[in-house]
Amino acid sequence: MRTGDFKQTYDELVTLVDSPPVWLWSALLVAGLVVTPFVLNSYALSFLMIILITVVGALGLNILTGYTGLISLGHVGFLVTGAYAYAILVSKYHMHPLLGFLGAGVVPALASLIVGAPSLRLKGLYLAITTLAFSFIINTVILEARWLTNGARGISVQRPEIFGLSFDSDAAFTYLCLGFAILTLFATLNIRRSRVGRAFVAIRDNDTAARVMGINLHAYKLFAFVTSAFITGLSGALYGIYLSFVSVEGFPFLLSIEALAILIVGGLGSALGAVLGTILIVLLPEATRFAFSLFSAQMDAMFTTGAQELKSMLYGLVIILFLRFQPRGLVGAWHDIRRMWVNWPLRY
Amino acid sequence: MQYFMQLLISGLAIGAIYGLIAMGFAVIYKSTGLVNFAQGEMTMITAYIAWTISTTVSGNVFVVALGAIVAAVVLGLVIERVVMRPMLGEPVFATVMVTIGLAVILRSSINFIWDAYPHGLDVGFGRTIVRIGSIGVRTGQIAVIATLLLLLAAIWAFFRYSKIGVAMRAVAADDRTALLMGISATRVHALAWAASSVIAGIGGVFFALSYDLSPAMFQLGLKAFPATILGGLDAVLGSGLGGLLIGITENLAGGYLGSGMKEVAGFAMIIVVLMVRPFGIFGERDIERV
Repeated sequence: MRTGDFKQTYDELVTLVDSPPVWLWSALLVAGLVVTPFVLNSYALSFLMIILITVVGALGLNILTGYTGLISLGHVGFLVTGAYAYAILVSKYHMHPLLGFLGAGVVPALASLIVGAPSLRLKGLYLAITTLAFSFIINTVILEARWLTNGARGISVQRPEIFGLSFDSDAAFTYLCLGFAILTLFATLNIRRSRVGRAFVAIRDNDTAARVMGINLHAYKLFAFVTSAFITGLSGALYGIYLSFVSVEGFPFLLSIEALAILIVGGLGSALGAVLGTILIVLLPEATRFAFSLFSAQMDAMFTTGAQELKSMLYGLVIILFLRFQPRGLVGAWHDIRRMWVNWPLRY
Repeated sequence: MQYFMQLLISGLAIGAIYGLIAMGFAVIYKSTGLVNFAQGEMTMITAYIAWTISTTVSGNVFVVALGAIVAAVVLGLVIERVVMRPMLGEPVFATVMVTIGLAVILRSSINFIWDAYPHGLDVGFGRTIVRIGSIGVRTGQIAVIATLLLLLAAIWAFFRYSKIGVAMRAVAADDRTALLMGISATRVHALAWAASSVIAGIGGVFFALSYDLSPAMFQLGLKAFPATILGGLDAVLGSGLGGLLIGITENLAGGYLGSGMKEVAGFAMIIVVLMVRPFGIFGERDIERV
C-alpha cells in the first residue's frame, strides 16, 4: 500500500508535475478543448471563451493575492488599462496585434509601479483601500483623456489577424484564448516553483521572517505587482476583443469582486484553484438560472430583468459560504477527496 | 469669494455625512480590528427603511428618526450575529472578504426589496433654504453639521468616561487581557456593530434628506474610505474630522478643477496621505511585535 508521497531531492520537490499520469490527463484535456469549438454551439462556446479569458485574469490576481498575500480590490483597473492599451495601439494607431498584446501587458505593468510604490509601506487593509482608490482614479483618467481614449464613447476593437491567421471566427478566437490561458498557467506554475515564487510565499506567510532571511521585500512586492498587472492586462485585452468594444462601462467594479470570489472559491494561492474557481464562478449564474427555470417561468423572468443584481448576490453568497464552510476552497475539497480515496477505509 | 464660501459650506455639509459614515468604519475597526466594506450598503439600507417609514407610517420627523435608529440597531446586530460572529478568530483577510461579500449582497438586495428609481425623503424638514449673509444653505445641511459635532462630543465622552466605552477600548487594545478582566468580547463586538450602523445610518438619512435616495447610494461608503484613512482607521473622532476635510477638498476640486476631479479628489488625497503617514493623521502608529 502507498504510505505517502515522499520527496528525496529538491528537484523532486519543485518539479512541475510529480506523476506522469497528470501529464497524460492534461494532454487529453487540451486535446478535448481543441476539439470542443467544433462541437459546441455558439452560446456554449461564448462561455468557454469567457472562462479562458477569466482564467488568465484570475491567475494574474493569484500571483499578487494568492502567492504574495497582497489584497487588491483594484484589479479591474489593470484589466481596463490593458484593454485600452490594446484598443489604442491596434484600432487607433493600426499597429500589429502582437505589439498590441505586448502593450496590453506593459502599460498596466507600468501603472502597477505607480500603485505599487506607495503601497510598499502599507499592509493588509490599507493596501486594499489604496488599490480600490486606484481603480476609481484610472476610470476618471480614461474618461478625461478624450484625445487618446475617446472618453465615454469608447473604442471598438476588431478580432485580430496575426501573421495571416485570422482569429475572426469564434472557434479561432477560442484557440487564441486557449493559447493565452495555457501560457499563463505555465508561467504562473513556473514562477511558483522558482526562487521568486518561494520568496512571494515567504512574504505572504510572514514578511518579517522573509526579510530576515534576506528577501528584499520592496523588490519582490513590486515584482509581484508588475507580473500580476502584466498578466491581468493581457486578460483585459482579450476581454476587450471579446466584447469587440472597449469602454469604462464594460469593466464594472464588480469584476474586481468576481476575481476575488474566484480565488476564494478555488482556494487561495493555487493555480489549479484559480482555474477551478473560474469555471465555477463563470458558470454559476447560468447554472442557477437553469435550476430556477425548472421551477417556474416567473423565476426565469426575474433572472432576465435583474441579471446583474442576482449575479452579484450570488458572488456575495458564494464568497461568504466558502469562507465559512470551506476556507481552503475547491482545491482543499479536492485534496480531501484524494486523500480519502487513497486511505479508505482509514481516515489517515 | 462668494463662490468659494458656497463651495466651502456645501463641502462641509457633504463632508459631515462622509464623517458620520467614516466614524462608523472607525468604531468597528477600533473594537474588532477589521474594515467593514459593507458600511456604505448598511447606510443605504437604513436610509431606505427611513424612507419606507416616512411613506407608509408617518412623515413626522421624530417617528422617522426613531424608526431609522431602531432599524439600524437591528441591522447591525443581525449582521454581527449571523454573518460576522461565526468568523471570529479567522484571519483578517477572510473576515474582510466576508464583509465584501455582504456588501454586494446588500447592494443588490435594494433592487429586489425596493426599486431602482431615485426617491426623495420628505419629512417636511431639510429642504428649505436659509440665507446666511449672501449664501444659501439648506436646513438639512446645517442640521447634519450640527449632528456631526454633537456626536463627536458624545462619542468622545462615551469612550473617555463610560464603563462600556472603556471596555470597548480595552478589547481593541488587547482582547485577550480584556477577556481575562471579565469583559465579554462578543458583546462588545455586537455593540460596536450596532453603534456603527446607527452612526452611519444617521449619515445616510441626512443624505436622503438633502439629496435623493437611489441604489447608487452605497458609493457614500467608498467616499467615506478616504475620510477614515485620513483620520486614521482607529481614530473615531479623527475620522469624523477627516470626513469634513475630504468633503471640502472634494467640493473645491470639483468647483475649480472640473467634475472629473471631484470624483477622485478624495482617493488622490488618501494615496498622498498614506505615503506620508500610513496610519492616518490621528491614528496610532502600529508597533509590531515579532
